[in-house]
Amino acid sequence: MSRFSRRDFLLTTAGVVLASRLGSSAALAATPKRGGTLIGTWGGFEPQSLFVPAGGGSSPYFTSTKVVERLLRLTVDLKFEPVLALSVTPAPDFRSYTIKLRDKVTWHDGKPFSADDVVFNAMEYWKPISAGVSLVTLEAAEAVDPLTVVLKFKAPVPEFFLKSVLSGKAGLVIPKHIYAGSNIITNPINNTPIGTGPFKVKEWVRGSHVEYARNESYWNPGLPYLDKLVIRWWRDPASRSAAFEAGQLDIGTFNPIPYPEIARLTAGGKFIAETKGYANSAWIATVEFNQRREIFKKREVRQALMMAIDREFISETIFFGRAKPSVGVVHNSNSIFFTKDVQAYPFDVKKAASMLDAAGYPVKGGSRFKLSLVSAGWFEENVKMGQYVKQAFEDLDITVDLAVPDRATSLKRIYTDYDYDVAISNNTGGVELVPTTTQYYTTDGIVKGAAFRNATGYSNPELDKIVASMTVETDEPKRIALAKEFDRLATSEAPILPMVDLEPVTIVRSDVRDHSKTADFMGESWAELWLDR
Amino acid sequence: MLSLTIDFARRFARNRAALVGFALVILVIGVALAAPWLFPRNPLRIVGKPEIWPFVSSRYPLGTDSLGRDIAAMIAYGARTTLLIGVCASLTATIIGISVGATAAYFGGWVDELLMRFTELFQTIPNLIFVLTIVAILGQKIEYVTIAVGIVTWTPIARLTRAEFMSLRDREFVQACRAMGMGNLRIMFGEILPNALPPVIVLSSLVIAGAVLFESAVSFLGLGDPNVSSWGRLIGDGRTLIRSSWYICAVPGLAIMLTVLALNLVGDGLNDALNPKLRDR
Repeated sequence: MSRFSRRDFLLTTAGVVLASRLGSSAALAATPKRGGTLIGTWGGFEPQSLFVPAGGGSSPYFTSTKVVERLLRLTVDLKFEPVLALSVTPAPDFRSYTIKLRDKVTWHDGKPFSADDVVFNAMEYWKPISAGVSLVTLEAAEAVDPLTVVLKFKAPVPEFFLKSVLSGKAGLVIPKHIYAGSNIITNPINNTPIGTGPFKVKEWVRGSHVEYARNESYWNPGLPYLDKLVIRWWRDPASRSAAFEAGQLDIGTFNPIPYPEIARLTAGGKFIAETKGYANSAWIATVEFNQRREIFKKREVRQALMMAIDREFISETIFFGRAKPSVGVVHNSNSIFFTKDVQAYPFDVKKAASMLDAAGYPVKGGSRFKLSLVSAGWFEENVKMGQYVKQAFEDLDITVDLAVPDRATSLKRIYTDYDYDVAISNNTGGVELVPTTTQYYTTDGIVKGAAFRNATGYSNPELDKIVASMTVETDEPKRIALAKEFDRLATSEAPILPMVDLEPVTIVRSDVRDHSKTADFMGESWAELWLDR
Repeated sequence: MLSLTIDFARRFARNRAALVGFALVILVIGVALAAPWLFPRNPLRIVGKPEIWPFVSSRYPLGTDSLGRDIAAMIAYGARTTLLIGVCASLTATIIGISVGATAAYFGGWVDELLMRFTELFQTIPNLIFVLTIVAILGQKIEYVTIAVGIVTWTPIARLTRAEFMSLRDREFVQACRAMGMGNLRIMFGEILPNALPPVIVLSSLVIAGAVLFESAVSFLGLGDPNVSSWGRLIGDGRTLIRSSWYICAVPGLAIMLTVLALNLVGDGLNDALNPKLRDR
């Protein structure tokens, strides 16, 4: 009974606020409505656990972020906004940061959230488990008072960098009273995570869906707007498309349906294809040249092969226009670090052929050389890209043996065994380039068996030096200049380069409102989503 | 010998459906052989605009797929792949099956027990999963797909061969051979096998049809050899376009259906021709 009266109370308050603030009916239509159930999904499968503390990919990230929050979040226009922290302020020397926390925040089990929780997260969770190399210089975390934490570092830490970590995949804040003294990674609570977020895990029906109930005591009164959130998984993009049409699905993030279906589904106006909300998890398709092979130690050969690939064709035909030819190393949606001032690789087969001739690989007996091309089989588009790139190289009279292994074998061949000459893979990076993007090029990124790192074995002291300066440069304009220098060098060296910048799409019913407002919408709490029904 | 062949042909021809099947098989073989002349370029080359429908462009009579590759060329070269894998896998299965079945039945006793338990072990593993496992371990090469299909399809042949051998091994002509001092191998393969062969041949022809389906399934799931054209792969690639350009799946699907149907009809015809008594019964 008390639940209903509380809801009535909230509705009345909302009504009063509304009546006092608004006059026109047009503005009235944009006023969020409370209630309803939203069914969401993403373009992938069920996670191994609802929350995977060490990362675990997009699927557990999607399910855990509705429950567990972070200190900050990054908006679509790349500004940091407070979530659990009201402010994060650097000291003048950038060796320490003061974090002011939000008051009157409680965990789902009713215990209060405090500075001790953040200290625990910084030292026991972020530094050793989730953030990895990002926080190696973190020395100590101290709770000054129940709502103030100071993070101390051994070296200066750029503000954008730290805030990116705190608002990124690694910065989830987990309860100390649940995890202290246990193994965070294997704690069974990860299947029913507890956080401060707008939704509580109600039930996880394995193989089908997870249901979240509204957190009635959420720190932001009135939020979330939804009564219930359901995340359901489908195994096949075509069946997601059918589910949308059958009214069984309201929103799907990260390419839920086949590309050619998008136009058909959105034609009636009942569904929208939204491309915003992916800036902080920007996907690219890469081509990688194994530096352990004698041929690819020559930069001219790598550059020539880049020029043999018609990336316009890949964007238009393979991705149905949902990708753009990459400019440099940095994704074009990255409005802070992106630059056009890098070496271009226009599609030019003749020039590529003459470059290979000059590099000492003329056509002999019908073939310049033989190479093995491994296209990672986790996306359907990679199958087609593999077939296209094979043809593009064959046009240069190179003999190509193509393999498109399944996910596990692809990871093993590319990132563990280095068993490829040229690889086609994908990766995703945030707006901040260190360490995710830079590790594809730096020497410390060469870690045998670590997926999505420097698998080419490329090592260049000059490039390492630029990245090292980026990690400690606290002056924002200087840091951006360094990033562009890194981009220029990496692009002209071309050990691994993006072929196309993917533009993931969220498919959403047109009566779902206030979605895609952050730089990584899929990993947002979805408290502000509401249904205009 | 000639009269025997004519007799065989007449009995085969009495089954009209088998004749149709035979004609279709000849057609598929013809297309497979003529592929390099009909389509002199690499069938996996991107040659035109993507998603041209069949019967629209005279250059691409069966249209183009989602990348702009000529479907007609891929079907023709796919016939080669499919038949090659089908025949080779069937041969592999037949050789393994006959060897195991014949040995088990001829020697009997613990050899029989051992080999039959071994056969059952293979029979208990779901076929498709077994094929996928073998291909995943060995790699995506056309040879490995052939071996994998051969390995999972030999068991019925082994059991049939065993049953035939069991009924023949104690006949008088075999005893006569023993009395003459013939060696085991010579009796098995020189004397018993020719008499046991007709039903085995029928089964082997059906295994070809099964192998075509297995190869298509493996390629459909993206585990086939990406360097060769294959009907199953074409269907797999076209799957995402099934709502808008369904012909990309339908054309190779039709090819698979007709080929498998034809092979089954031929199998029926062979059955009639090789076991005439069975038919009249």
